[in-house]
Amino acid sequence: MAIQHKWGMVIDIDRCTGCQACVIACQAENNIPVNEKVDFLSRRAKQWIRIDRFWEGEYPNIKARFIPVLCQHCENAPCEPVCPVFATYHNNEGLNVQVYNRCVGTRYCANNCPYQVRFFNFFNPKFPESLKNQLNPDVTIRSRGIMEKCTFCIQRIRRAERTIEGKEGRVLNDETMRDGNYNPACVSACPTETLTFGDLNNPNSQVVKKSKNKRNYRLLENLGTDPNVIYLKKVDPHHQKEGHHA
Amino acid sequence: MPKKFIWVSLGLGGIFATTTVVLVAIFILQAWWGLPFNVLGWNDPPVQPIAFPHTQHVAVDGISCAFCHRNVLEGDSASVPAVELCVFCHKTIQGDEAPPEIQKVIDHYNNNVPINWEKVHRLPDHVQFSHEPHVRFLTETQGLGLEAACSTCHGQIRDMVEVEQVRRLKMGDCVDCHRNNQHLTENTGITDCTTCHY
Repeated sequence: MAIQHKWGMVIDIDRCTGCQACVIACQAENNIPVNEKVDFLSRRAKQWIRIDRFWEGEYPNIKARFIPVLCQHCENAPCEPVCPVFATYHNNEGLNVQVYNRCVGTRYCANNCPYQVRFFNFFNPKFPESLKNQLNPDVTIRSRGIMEKCTFCIQRIRRAERTIEGKEGRVLNDETMRDGNYNPACVSACPTETLTFGDLNNPNSQVVKKSKNKRNYRLLENLGTDPNVIYLKKVDPHHQKEGHHA
Repeated sequence: MPKKFIWVSLGLGGIFATTTVVLVAIFILQAWWGLPFNVLGWNDPPVQPIAFPHTQHVAVDGISCAFCHRNVLEGDSASVPAVELCVFCHKTIQGDEAPPEIQKVIDHYNNNVPINWEKVHRLPDHVQFSHEPHVRFLTETQGLGLEAACSTCHGQIRDMVEVEQVRRLKMGDCVDCHRNNQHLTENTGITDCTTCHY
């Protein structure tokens, strides 16, 4: 029997420079149409991973803070019980998955998501002619009227499972995932290694080691959603000094 | 008289309408559960640009499926061979029965034009299918030969002059097999939705 994986991610905020490489990688990997200005203005832009920016302090001591936010793959996901057709559920690998062909587009899940990471297709996606040969054949193009969200690049996970575990008979761990480029697109693209992806069931994986760091926290932890995405707080000695003064 | 005429025409119209509705309903229902009835050529195999007889190549010549469909043991798509692969043999084999068809292949090769084969087995966009693990399961775990493994879904290709779809390949078709063989595979999650839908 194959090892039951539990996929998770660690995001080290201290390393994030807000470069948006993960956002671009995600758009390209997952067939997300190009977001235009009008999409952002009407709050219909689709970004499975986004960089939330905060300003801290006042000029001239102002600082920009960045937090990459993607689907937290909550263990107690608020989006799941509200779906009337079971289009979103928790699978045996700890992923919160969205089954596109089951979705009927009630949008209850997006309404119930505290992280605002579910996106509704109000229209059929339009791709410019130059991007049509760039579309990923492993990912369904979502049509009008269904919900979509971050899948932890499940197409890459599935490929890793059938290639590394099935065909080659090797163990799926951090090294084999990285060598075969099976990590999610955002993780592969991140230049500062802010994002780490791996198996939370494997005690030797980087995710488990990093998640034990004392800087760890989860987004909106008080809601009790128990996310599988763990954040590491920003290290800011300067900030601590100021706090000491006050 | 006019009154009787109205009743007769109403009755006939009613019978006609009912029959039409019933026929359409039968057609839609059985097409939903299986392949559609072969009425007016709805279920005919697609016409290929070059008459390629699998009977000759598989049954008579005994070429393995994976010789032409090279990617079937490696990846997602079984892949249709490049024209070069056809010409690899047909440079010397001119054939006794259908030289004009073979000449078409040679022409495609000389003009650098790919052959637009018609796709026979189509899956919807929201279904992801990979040949490799299925062939691996059928040959290694079930112990079938390669041709028998392919025939599990594609039927007796060696007897088909024009290849047609024999299994419905609807979700029930896939899930039946996945449920029955769940205990035999290493991956216990093969009935999870995200096995195929992502």
